[in-house]
Amino acid sequence: MSSVSGIDGAIEPPSPEDLVAEKRDSARNRFLRRFSRAPLLPEAGAGGAPLTAVIAVISSLAALALAAFILIAAASNAWTAELKSSLTIQVKGVDAADIEAHLAAAVKILDETPGVVEYRVIDSKAAGKLLEPWLGKGNAASLNVPALIELKLSPAGRAGIPALAERFQKASPAIVLDDHGGWNDRLADAARSGQALAFAVFALILAAACAISIFAARAGLSANAEVVSLLHLVGATDDFIANEVQRRFTVIGLRGSILGLAAALFLLSLFALATRARGAEGFLLPGLTIGPGLAFPLLAVPIAICLTTAVAARFTVLRTLRETY
Amino acid sequence: MILSFDQVGLAYDGGPECLKDVNFSLSEGEFRFLTGPSGAGKSSFLKLIYLAMRPTRGRMTLFGEDVTNADRDALPPLRRRIGVVFQEFRLLDHLTAFENVALPMKVAGVNQQQYREDVRELLNWVGLGSRMDARPETLSGGEKQRVALARALVSKPDLILADEPTGNVDPQMGEKIMKLFVELNKLGAAVIVATHDLQLVDALGKRTMRLDGGRLIEDAAPARSRGRMR
Repeated sequence: MSSVSGIDGAIEPPSPEDLVAEKRDSARNRFLRRFSRAPLLPEAGAGGAPLTAVIAVISSLAALALAAFILIAAASNAWTAELKSSLTIQVKGVDAADIEAHLAAAVKILDETPGVVEYRVIDSKAAGKLLEPWLGKGNAASLNVPALIELKLSPAGRAGIPALAERFQKASPAIVLDDHGGWNDRLADAARSGQALAFAVFALILAAACAISIFAARAGLSANAEVVSLLHLVGATDDFIANEVQRRFTVIGLRGSILGLAAALFLLSLFALATRARGAEGFLLPGLTIGPGLAFPLLAVPIAICLTTAVAARFTVLRTLRETY
Repeated sequence: MILSFDQVGLAYDGGPECLKDVNFSLSEGEFRFLTGPSGAGKSSFLKLIYLAMRPTRGRMTLFGEDVTNADRDALPPLRRRIGVVFQEFRLLDHLTAFENVALPMKVAGVNQQQYREDVRELLNWVGLGSRMDARPETLSGGEKQRVALARALVSKPDLILADEPTGNVDPQMGEKIMKLFVELNKLGAAVIVATHDLQLVDALGKRTMRLDGGRLIEDAAPARSRGRMR
């Protein structure tokens, strides 16, 4: 260009208002340029605020669903571990003497069995006392309440449970070993159903994020049709425009999902405080603490939301550009 | 050959043809004016050249490639070799003058370090060196026109198209812009300028095409009496 003389003169002086706005713009641009390049597509709304808010709400719900998934898994593990760690031997009989005889036989077998860590005998009288809240004081005595033995086995000893059950059976059909398998299975089933439900909710929320991104990307392209058209005319490829949109949605997705995750962690903290205050902790749910075990898996939420929104927006833009331009 | 039209026709959305049976060619380093009354098809003619549209009939080649039915992925590299000054400027309001001028370079994936000086030089050259950070809304019509001009030239295009480039500036500025196109043409770029301003066309004495009713009715070398501004 150096051999071509410039256009000079005929420059209308800018108004003072223009110069003030320009100075402000200039300072802001210089500041922004340090951190990011100017977006070629204009920001939707005030920095995409409505979309950020929707993504924040969606992320919050997704984080709560994922937290439910993790909590149910933890609760299920705690419940089944508790049940698996002990066995119960029920000793029945036609009268107290019969029960005592069978109880002695059962204890003898236990003493001879390797792998028994400890056992605690709850005789018929003590077992009857356990029923007093329901039957009233002294009323259990006439019922021949079976004696119970609470038994803990070593891991090696657990392998011998079937043989132990057989020995009890041979000694007397009135001695019954209960390894809590039925309860365990039912609890595991219930936990699996709860986890599947929580995961389905999580997946549905991601699908909602996907649908919102598609809608927002289409609306954004439509609102910026003039800009998109100009970008094409100066030589932009569809990929270039899709990259611009994808970058925008990644930023909005990240911003919204981090806000949503923070809100979800706040709600979970309130829930943890409430359960502790009521003494409900440890009753049905395991202790809820916002530690790394919960927080790290929840970091998957911003990543999943960002990926979902960015990829959905990218494919929507590529398809729309091919259909429209 | 930079550009050729062979029996080209163009119709919008299946409507009547706004360009009919256009035959035309442009070689490297040529300068043409495109004139004609309003509605003659000048803008549609330019739209075909800068690949905003494709012919609905006939055959068109650009930079030696048949673009009539070319895949859309083949078009961006060709568009980058064309600089367009649009009648309505088409500046992006959310970008500064600097960013608007730099747009074709960004789109082409050129590093900012490489184009920063070129953009500054161009903006200084069009007299807007002090307003690089201004947004289009704060610029006058003439200033916007010059930003649009700088944007069209920043990638050193092989073909420059201008649609009524003097329509929004005073006669003195219009004359300067036209002289600029002539100088750029001397540097090697082919130029097509669509204009109503027959006085300027006369003054520059360049080959002129005339469209009327969508037909190219004249493609003539300048008369001897013309060319007083050369």
